[in-house]
Amino acid sequence: MAVRLKASEKILYNALIKAEAQNIADEFLQSGLPNRKNESYHYSDLKLLLDNIPDILENGEFSSEPEFNIAGAYNIFINNGRVEIAKKLPKDVEIGTISGTVFTPENDIVAKLNSALSKESLQLEIKGNLENIIYIEHRSNGQASFINDNIEIELLANANAIIIEIFTSSNNSHLSNHASRINLAENSNLTHIVLDLSAKENRHLYTLTYEVEKEARLNSLIIHKGANLARTQLFAKFVGENSHADFSGLTLAESEQHSDISINISHAVANTSSSENYKSVVRDRAKGIFQGKILVERDAQKIDAKMMHKGLMLSDDAQILVKPELEIYADDVICGHGATCGELDKDSLFYLMSRGIAYETARAMLIKAFLAEIFDFVENKNIHEILQKLIDDWLN
Amino acid sequence: MSDIMLEIKNLHVNVADKEILKGVNLTIKKGEVHAIMGRNGSGKSTLSYALTGKEGYEITKGEILLDGENILEMEPNERAVAGLFLAFQYPIEIPGVTTMTFLKAAMNAQRKAKGQEELSTPDFMRAVKKTAQELDIDSSMLKRPLNVGFSGGEKKRAEILQMALLKPKMCIFDETDSGLDIDALKIVAKGVNALRNENRSMLIITHYQRLLNYIVPDIVHVFSDGKIVKTGDKELALELEKQGYSKFDEVS
Ligand SMILES: Nc1ncnc2c1ncn2[C@@H]1O[C@H](COP(=O)(O)OP(=O)(O)O)[C@@H](O)[C@H]1O
Ligand SMILES: [Mg+2]
Repeated sequence: MAVRLKASEKILYNALIKAEAQNIADEFLQSGLPNRKNESYHYSDLKLLLDNIPDILENGEFSSEPEFNIAGAYNIFINNGRVEIAKKLPKDVEIGTISGTVFTPENDIVAKLNSALSKESLQLEIKGNLENIIYIEHRSNGQASFINDNIEIELLANANAIIIEIFTSSNNSHLSNHASRINLAENSNLTHIVLDLSAKENRHLYTLTYEVEKEARLNSLIIHKGANLARTQLFAKFVGENSHADFSGLTLAESEQHSDISINISHAVANTSSSENYKSVVRDRAKGIFQGKILVERDAQKIDAKMMHKGLMLSDDAQILVKPELEIYADDVICGHGATCGELDKDSLFYLMSRGIAYETARAMLIKAFLAEIFDFVENKNIHEILQKLIDDWLN
Repeated sequence: MSDIMLEIKNLHVNVADKEILKGVNLTIKKGEVHAIMGRNGSGKSTLSYALTGKEGYEITKGEILLDGENILEMEPNERAVAGLFLAFQYPIEIPGVTTMTFLKAAMNAQRKAKGQEELSTPDFMRAVKKTAQELDIDSSMLKRPLNVGFSGGEKKRAEILQMALLKPKMCIFDETDSGLDIDALKIVAKGVNALRNENRSMLIITHYQRLLNYIVPDIVHVFSDGKIVKTGDKELALELEKQGYSKFDEVS
């Protein structure tokens, strides 16, 4: 049965019709935007939160300079959904774009909207041991616009790469809906870092999907800092034995920000392992949400998965909502989850102050200490500095 | 200028609405080393926290003057800058902050508050290295997060290292001897004795007389049920050790 569409949903429906995505339009008519009754959107009711949808525009001025200069990086820009690639390609990388819808393995209407409405999809194929870091900057510029872009990345067998994706925007209430789908083939190794640094006016939706094959290694880090409404949904599936992934993330939320990281990790085959380490720091009236679900399928024995969320609340009006979930159908597995949440430790604050360190400095030291752990694994000096600065700026 | 470093007058302190300190009077002159001895639960740590301004230690009556200045309205960091230092009974572990980072932050915070320039990194390194060596502190310990995974002895030595670098004028030691074997105790005592001078005063809080063999006090006080019940010279400590605390309970 079709739901009654709100004004904003009608705009989305019309956009789908205009994009000639009849199937998805039909589906959207049945579901509308996800709301609190959808389990995975329980704390981020998009029907309520997405109140105005701007037009799909390609306006805006785009600099030829990246937000961050990383030594030896190969820079790719996606400007209001349009891919801009430098002519000179690094060794071991094939790049292209395709137009039209892409396959959406996720059963999720936001991901389907992205696929139907994106103009072109960036395609990356990586082989060998990549010397250059791949730097992808998604930009939403000009007046408020509805932006959809997506990326498909294929790490071929034995490939080794570092990919960093940054989201930036002008100070307008864009609605940007992004998707990255990454396949790690046998024995490949990827460090993937995603930073939302868009303006406070922006609404940021991001679908991130990994498929991890035999003996592959993944290090995934997501940081939410920018948009007023930010939601990342991460889907990862282990499909080959002896693969391992470390998932981590950090939410920095202030003023009225609503920041949601929801992860779905599926161990579909035996002898795979993962760790999930997420942290949220909130202040003012901000809301940080973490939902983590680990699924272990029936024949997936010898799984080792440990999920942890640590929250830090810096004001009484801020909120942290955490929902960990384990769904285990195999019997020989080691899985666990934990969560801590609270204010800064009073004894630690007193100890620092008793040595002459002023309250604000002591507090900043303790928050920094809490955060620093999350990107300890980043070896690249440039990227480490970017992350450190991001935290320092937020604290000052 | 007065020759008095610390003056505590009729100090009453409540913790969680319960009166723990019940009228402490204590005057320490410049250059003097005093010891406070008392059994567990008598309120010794409460006194050290009230002096350093910990939250939750409510002063209901009395005064504390440091070098003639009333410190009751000061924040803990301001008291530190004014020259007060507490070596904690249980030093706090701070994961994510290395000992080096912490030491530099503390030294520079105090310099800044006094209107002095920040230390240059080489000057800082030199000062830390020298003092650490004297206290038999390994440089690898300085690179580790503050107090995390330190042994009991390492923690206490790290406290003395901080004290030596911050050069306070009034030092309080809260059971610095607890949990130390005799060798560690000797190193700590040596570090403390090296810091004794005519402008620096010390208050040594302890449960046992043992430490006072190595750091010899000028004056010894017996503490019982939230106040000082007897004052004497170093012989008093030996007397206490022999006769136990119960003799003094009757006095109070
Ligand atoms: N935070 C606290 N909350 C409640 N009671 C406390 C607290 N700290 C100390 N006390 C009580 O105050 C008394 C004195 O404790 P303390 O000063 O630690 O003694 P000491 O250091 O001499 O062993 C004890 O009865 C103890 O239970
Ligand atoms: Mg005590």
